[in-house]
Amino acid sequence: MLRKIWEHRADYAYVLPAIAVMLIVIAYPIYYTVELSFFNTPPGLQLRDKNFIGIDNYTAILTSEVFWKVTWNTLIWTLGSTFISFVLGFATALALHRDFIGRGVLRAILIIPWVISAVAASYIWKWIYHSDFGIIGAVLVQLGLADRPPNFIDSVSTVLPSLIVVNIWREFPFAMIMMMAGLQTVPDQLLRAAKVDGANAWQRFWHVTFPHLRNVSTVTILLLAVANFNSFIIPWIMTGGGPSNASHIWITHIYELAFGRQRWGVASAYSVLLFLILMSLGYFYVRALSGNERKDGSA
Amino acid sequence: MTRITLGGAVLRGTVSTALMASLMSAPALGAAPVDLSKWSPEYVRSIAGTQDFDTAADCAKVTPLDYKGRLTFWYQGVFEGDPDLLRQYYKDFFETFRKTYPNIQLEEQALTYNDLLDKFRTALLGNAAPMAVRLQILGGTEFASKGYLEPLKPEDVGYSTEDFWPGAMKAVTWDGVTYGIPTNNETMAFIWNADIFKRAGLDPDKAPATWDDVVKYSKQIHDKLGIAGYGLVARKNAGNTPYRFMPQLWAYGGGVFDEATANPTYKQIELASPQSKAALQASYDMYVRDKSVPVSALTNQQADNQPLFLAGQLGMMISHPSDYNVMLDLQKKATGTDKDKAQTVIDNMRYGLIPTGPDGKRAVVFGGSNIHILKPEYVEGGKVDEPAAKAIICMWTSPEWSLKMAYAGSNPGNLNGFKTKWMKERLDSIKFLDVTTSMLPYGIPFPALPQSPEIMNIIVPDMLQNALTGAMTVDQAADDAAKKVKDLMGGGL
Repeated sequence: MLRKIWEHRADYAYVLPAIAVMLIVIAYPIYYTVELSFFNTPPGLQLRDKNFIGIDNYTAILTSEVFWKVTWNTLIWTLGSTFISFVLGFATALALHRDFIGRGVLRAILIIPWVISAVAASYIWKWIYHSDFGIIGAVLVQLGLADRPPNFIDSVSTVLPSLIVVNIWREFPFAMIMMMAGLQTVPDQLLRAAKVDGANAWQRFWHVTFPHLRNVSTVTILLLAVANFNSFIIPWIMTGGGPSNASHIWITHIYELAFGRQRWGVASAYSVLLFLILMSLGYFYVRALSGNERKDGSA
Repeated sequence: MTRITLGGAVLRGTVSTALMASLMSAPALGAAPVDLSKWSPEYVRSIAGTQDFDTAADCAKVTPLDYKGRLTFWYQGVFEGDPDLLRQYYKDFFETFRKTYPNIQLEEQALTYNDLLDKFRTALLGNAAPMAVRLQILGGTEFASKGYLEPLKPEDVGYSTEDFWPGAMKAVTWDGVTYGIPTNNETMAFIWNADIFKRAGLDPDKAPATWDDVVKYSKQIHDKLGIAGYGLVARKNAGNTPYRFMPQLWAYGGGVFDEATANPTYKQIELASPQSKAALQASYDMYVRDKSVPVSALTNQQADNQPLFLAGQLGMMISHPSDYNVMLDLQKKATGTDKDKAQTVIDNMRYGLIPTGPDGKRAVVFGGSNIHILKPEYVEGGKVDEPAAKAIICMWTSPEWSLKMAYAGSNPGNLNGFKTKWMKERLDSIKFLDVTTSMLPYGIPFPALPQSPEIMNIIVPDMLQNALTGAMTVDQAADDAAKKVKDLMGGGL
């Protein structure tokens, strides 16, 4: 192995700067986060005065009620946002795959939620949902469909679904673009052949189109899942995790623990757990990508 | 115009004499610049415009005007809820500083109240803090106790400790050492819309006397007019929440600890006391039982209540004297019939003292900001230009600028500011200023503990949210909050 490295020393020298940068900006923070997760960082002390407490942070997290509540919220948020965004994006991609007048304009309009700033979108939606003078509530009251504006983000039972709607609105265009790209790889002759063989629209979709989209679907779902697991902007700006922690997900909770409460140790332990989960998702992502490559290579 | 006799109300005020003593117990180093024992709107008027100050000459004694240096400075600046007038004064201050000290290269950065603490804490961890910082009153003790701040007292920039409110000096003192200088001190007041009161069958010129009255009035306004009665604010991680809930908590006789007493020890946790629970119950009654406050209170800040009030959709709220100017600014931006509606609200705006609790206790948060110098090891580049830092601190905390920078929304940290000609001008131009200066003696500082930011910005709002959303009963929410404070003080994870 050393001989091989020596033989390729010039190649390694070329990538060395990149490796050094990665070690500084990725490896060191990961190491430091893991290290910090074994320390207590009381609010009255500086970080350098931290106390080693072994796995107490992990024990405290796993035995706390908030952890399970936040984890449940994160699962609902991630699965709900990912699944619905994907289905909606896929359905839109199928609808826009056919040629019709105005398709280009419609496609451009549908991409808008994805390209506008998440911060701006969060503020706009906060006002749309506003429990006292939001536009949705006003319209419902004007139309006589409600006596008073519905409570979207100030209620523990409706806040998370309301935020998921905003997240879906923002990210379904991403799924749409991915699936539209995938649809263009489905060979036309196969679809025509299936039609000649008497396959109906559903059979053509299920037996010809969908199998061709399996890999792009997997990658899209994984990318959405990772992005949703890491979501911060929408819940933090719209509700700050409230009311009563009902919209706290892992990332917002970690942020509050670290920057609001200065529990750097506990926040780091949370981050390590999150890192492990995301690494597993990353593994499946890489597998999906390498599956693609193998297929491409064998074709 | 408000018809309540403010001076009389102050004198009649049943706030504990102990509290007054706490606020006014500065050791005398010489003749008191402002006689706090005489404090009343009449006294404030009598001293306004009686003394001239030459800020540049005063600060030249601290840092020569030709001093050459470089200063990085962060401050809690103006934000969306502030009036345009204040924006102009902030602009003027930095222009004047650059003219006065042309050889100091100033790199200033304004941050909002809710963002500053998080950013500053993060910068400290990376030894990338600015050389000087102006922080909200809650922050001083936290950073002093952790050893980030240099000792700094008014005498270091040419003033006397007596020039500042003793209550404000408490917030910059840790372990007997002073680590900063107050820039401004504020107490809020109770604001109501007289027209809404009249239409709801209430006396338009009489503020609710007690918090129980606030609950009743809020319900009456809501039931009769279908609009929100009281502008409750219960958002987490927002300074607006403790500034509005703590006066209620203290008025009922409750507290987080014993911070409302003359000599607080912060040993006994009072959040689960029957008095604290009664205060929480009052909020619960308004939000859940009567539905008489904005539903959006859990995600709102005061800046969200202002447009509601201006639109005539809110009857009462707690805020600064600056809200009158904010209303004027918002009215200027309105168009068509909205402009006239807004003017009607402004004409009907009334200010009064914050209501008392059932036992006649009146209280308000003694708020404000302080300015500090960082230790070099936590500053970007590892160096602090102390003369440059003292120059800006001398200017900001001068009678002139501590008054001007607090012109519409607060009061000067340097008590000599009350003697300036600008104070006289301010008394004539800022409506309702008397009410908030009258509230100053009722001011209670937040507990001077490093844990205070977490208690006030997270635990107290959480308690409110847990009770108001029904996630917990009032009793459970108060008990839960008391337990969290206990764990926090015990160093729990």
